[in-house]
Amino acid sequence: MTRVIEVPTHFDDRSFEQFAAGFGNWPPDERVLVDARGAQWASPYGLIGMLTAGQAIAEAKGERPLLTVPTADEVKRYWARIGFFRHAAELFELHGRVPKASASGPSDVLLDVTPVRAMEDVHQVVEKITETASKILHRELGLERNATMRFSMALSESCQNIVEHAGTGGWVAVQVYTFRRRLGRRVAVIAVSDGGVGFRRSLESTHAKRFGERWGDGAALEAALLQGVSRFRDPGRGQGFAGIKGFLDRWKGKISIRSGTARLSIVPAWDDDVPLADHLAFFPGAQVQITIPAQAAEAR
Amino acid sequence: MIETIRIGRMLREATSSPYRNLVTRPTGVAVRNRIEDALSRSDCLTALLDFSDIELLDFSCADEIVAKLLLTQASQRRRFMVLRGLRDDQHEAIEQVLRHHRLAVVAMVHGDEPLLLGWVSPDARQAFACMPRTGPSTPSDLARALGWPEPRMRAALDALALLLLIRPEDGWYHPLLVA
Repeated sequence: MTRVIEVPTHFDDRSFEQFAAGFGNWPPDERVLVDARGAQWASPYGLIGMLTAGQAIAEAKGERPLLTVPTADEVKRYWARIGFFRHAAELFELHGRVPKASASGPSDVLLDVTPVRAMEDVHQVVEKITETASKILHRELGLERNATMRFSMALSESCQNIVEHAGTGGWVAVQVYTFRRRLGRRVAVIAVSDGGVGFRRSLESTHAKRFGERWGDGAALEAALLQGVSRFRDPGRGQGFAGIKGFLDRWKGKISIRSGTARLSIVPAWDDDVPLADHLAFFPGAQVQITIPAQAAEAR
Repeated sequence: MIETIRIGRMLREATSSPYRNLVTRPTGVAVRNRIEDALSRSDCLTALLDFSDIELLDFSCADEIVAKLLLTQASQRRRFMVLRGLRDDQHEAIEQVLRHHRLAVVAMVHGDEPLLLGWVSPDARQAFACMPRTGPSTPSDLARALGWPEPRMRAALDALALLLLIRPEDGWYHPLLVA
């Protein structure tokens, strides 16, 4: 038997829940077919979420999943350009014609889909983004140099979380696009995802006792994001998210972290998300999205 | 005597690469070890850490390099530490990690203007701001300038001296000079 999981037509952090719910038990007890034929648009979060699913199935020794590529040429070309198919081919049996990645023309992709497995990868990601992102972030979002450096810091800290806490590799992608539905403005989005142990298991041995019966995915996310706790005894740990929150507060950005069955967000005024979504469908590891909106002219 | 340590050079040596971004804890540890090694061979009174070749400093490296260096130096040989060549975003990263540890350091900014980064009491911060940039002061001079009782000023200056943010000598308090 094959379990068909339909990729949402508009695949972002919200519709990700529909995708996650499609897996049922984890790891899935049947072969999985990820059906992307009807996809019309996918955010970096959606794309690396699919790769995370493929990676987690491989690490659980599940049967190699199938993936049908989008029917729409424009969608396929974009997925190729951001490097999705290159990595998907290692994790999925691809069905459908995959276009060659074209690097021509100006791009709103600040960072292709990039694997993060070791600290050296974090260096490479940061080197690449500081070279390319500054001008685009200034031109498209009105961010000054200081803000673009803080953007890179947020990226660095998010990627380090994978290496230090996931117990496996993960993925990162960064893109600028127009956030029509909720904001009507250009945004820069950092998406980071891994299929590792997740926040609850990472923090369990050091912090679960303090929370008692409240302990779970939501409590673990609260501990990490809001209280700055870390599984390390070093008192200097746990400051990465505090730094990211400071940056987001200043630039009216949003962070959302999904791990296991919960998703915790720091929600700016322009968004209508809930701060904590609990009892979601289980999805392995942790998925982080950081959204920085274009600055209104009066704020520049 | 002042020992100037170029952090960009330490980074290149530690990573054997042309990186200009100080990111990740392992990199921070490697750079800190090199700084400690350089300082262990020096009898300088003041270490001047020059960040001017550094592009990005993340919170992990701010913690591993600046905060841990201050903690280590405080428990070993007492040596003054001054930072130079920092940009605003780097100030903020260092400010955050030092406040977290309740530590502080002097940074020279905008043409060697001393700036206190990190955590000190409000009195100590005010006393620091009141100190002349060159030359020593007495608690009574500074107390008069701020309209404080002398014991209050003395306590504030002693707190700054304990954190190695000013240099006490024979009843006088000296700013940390780097020129």
